[in-house]
Amino acid sequence: MAIASPQKSMSANGGPSAKSPLRVVASAPGAVQVDNLDHTYNVGGRVTKALEQIKLDIAPGRFVVIVGPSGCGKSSLLMMMTGLVTPTAGSVYCGGLPMTAPDPDRVGVVFQEASLYPWLTAQDNVEFPLSLRGVPKAERAARARDKLALVGLKGFEDRYPHELSGGMKQRVSIARGLVQNPPILMLDEPFAALDEQTRISMGDELLRIWEQTGKTVVFVTHSLTEAAYLADEIIVMSARPGRIIDRIDVDLPRPRTYAMMSTPRFAELRERIWNQIKTQAGS
Amino acid sequence: MTLAVSTPAPRRLYVEPRTLRWILGLILLALWELLPRAGFIPSLFLPPLTETVGALLANAGDYVRHLLISLRAIGISMLFACGLGIGVGLLAGSIAPLRRVMLPLASGLYAVPLVILYPLFTAWFGIGPESKIAFASIYGLLPCFLGTMAGVQTIDRQYLVVARSMRATRWQMISRVLLPAAIPTVLSSLRVGGALVIVGVVVAEMLTSAEGIGYLITRYRTMLDSPRVFAGILVVVALVFAFDGLVRLIEYRTRNWRLSMRSGEPRN
Repeated sequence: MAIASPQKSMSANGGPSAKSPLRVVASAPGAVQVDNLDHTYNVGGRVTKALEQIKLDIAPGRFVVIVGPSGCGKSSLLMMMTGLVTPTAGSVYCGGLPMTAPDPDRVGVVFQEASLYPWLTAQDNVEFPLSLRGVPKAERAARARDKLALVGLKGFEDRYPHELSGGMKQRVSIARGLVQNPPILMLDEPFAALDEQTRISMGDELLRIWEQTGKTVVFVTHSLTEAAYLADEIIVMSARPGRIIDRIDVDLPRPRTYAMMSTPRFAELRERIWNQIKTQAGS
Repeated sequence: MTLAVSTPAPRRLYVEPRTLRWILGLILLALWELLPRAGFIPSLFLPPLTETVGALLANAGDYVRHLLISLRAIGISMLFACGLGIGVGLLAGSIAPLRRVMLPLASGLYAVPLVILYPLFTAWFGIGPESKIAFASIYGLLPCFLGTMAGVQTIDRQYLVVARSMRATRWQMISRVLLPAAIPTVLSSLRVGGALVIVGVVVAEMLTSAEGIGYLITRYRTMLDSPRVFAGILVVVALVFAFDGLVRLIEYRTRNWRLSMRSGEPRN
């Protein structure tokens, strides 16, 4: 809020979001807005500009992927969007309200490492956020079971994290992010640590969950393929200081299939992202 | 047994470590009996096993009475050493300024052979149980404290970030995340600290005391009654084994926990 924003959110370059007036969209539960966000790090007196003039307008129910070279601050941006980190300037709104602190009722977060608590079973891990709020045992058990079934882990409720594969752990983590029914799900390179086959099938799983629940999804990745495969809209960021240098509406039909990855259109998309990032990372 | 089957070299004689341990133990016991009997070792230095066990049984009432006195002192000292050590260790581990103050003090003190302070303790608290308890508590507290504090710092910070993303309160962070995450460390501190508490009590009893199993050993030693000295030693060994068994039991109960921690849950 430090910087006045006269031309509020005129940034989304056309696309489907243009068909509804932004002001109405912005107050819908699933809407995400980032307003003139700047961020600088101050490490031992040395000031580093990490993010510069980030503006985002995400309509409810959209699948938005943020992609950029490593170190561009895309993960930091996501952490600010979740309310975990406070930006130096500018603000983030989810469902029309500022994100000054994490709020699992509005935004579910999934981290790169599944970050499950090893002393809890899958079921208890998913129940954990509910138990912090004092939701009665029977209700939270039912809700957690429900979400575990949604992510395809019916029958694995009593497993401990060390008994689950990497992909399964990420599924539990997604179930945990969804257990409070937030309209928005934010994922920080959730599949980066997985092998390629698992990564592809987890992408399909996430798309299925997204289509089934109608959440707004903000997904950070460094994988061009993942970006083009999953997104409605791709936000391309530059190397440090991170700025938004391109916004791409992905016009590939849904449901996405593995075969689409070998179509010319898919290659074009990848190339467009690559050309943006290449000029940044090449130096 | 399963290992023996899956071993690729079938010619090799394979003995399970467990079996080997028992065999070694039995050999030692047999030597204990035979060497003094054969006259290789004077029985003043090492009375035969049967004689020792005989002395133990003949004075069973005495040993049990003094053992119970020692046990009581050990129990109280454990509460102080482990409770306080782990509690303060958790605090100092999660609060950096507190750690910076306490760490040099504690690790410096840990290097001091605390036994030199025991005469002071008897001067302050008398030769009753109080001085034993005070000495053993401090003796066991330091490793508990140092171990727990170091353990808290190795806890994956991501656990706390996740908790914050779920809007956990500060108290919930400590009780629901920090404490359970520290359990494996707490256990290994308990093992070291608890063993030192036993050492502390027995040593204190041997130095200056009017009762307890350590006192009994010293008394018989001054009387050159070797079988009874060794019988006392047997009792202390049994005590240590019992403690070890107890810790193992707790470890077994929390195995899922520790397994996941060790397998490095975050990375796949």
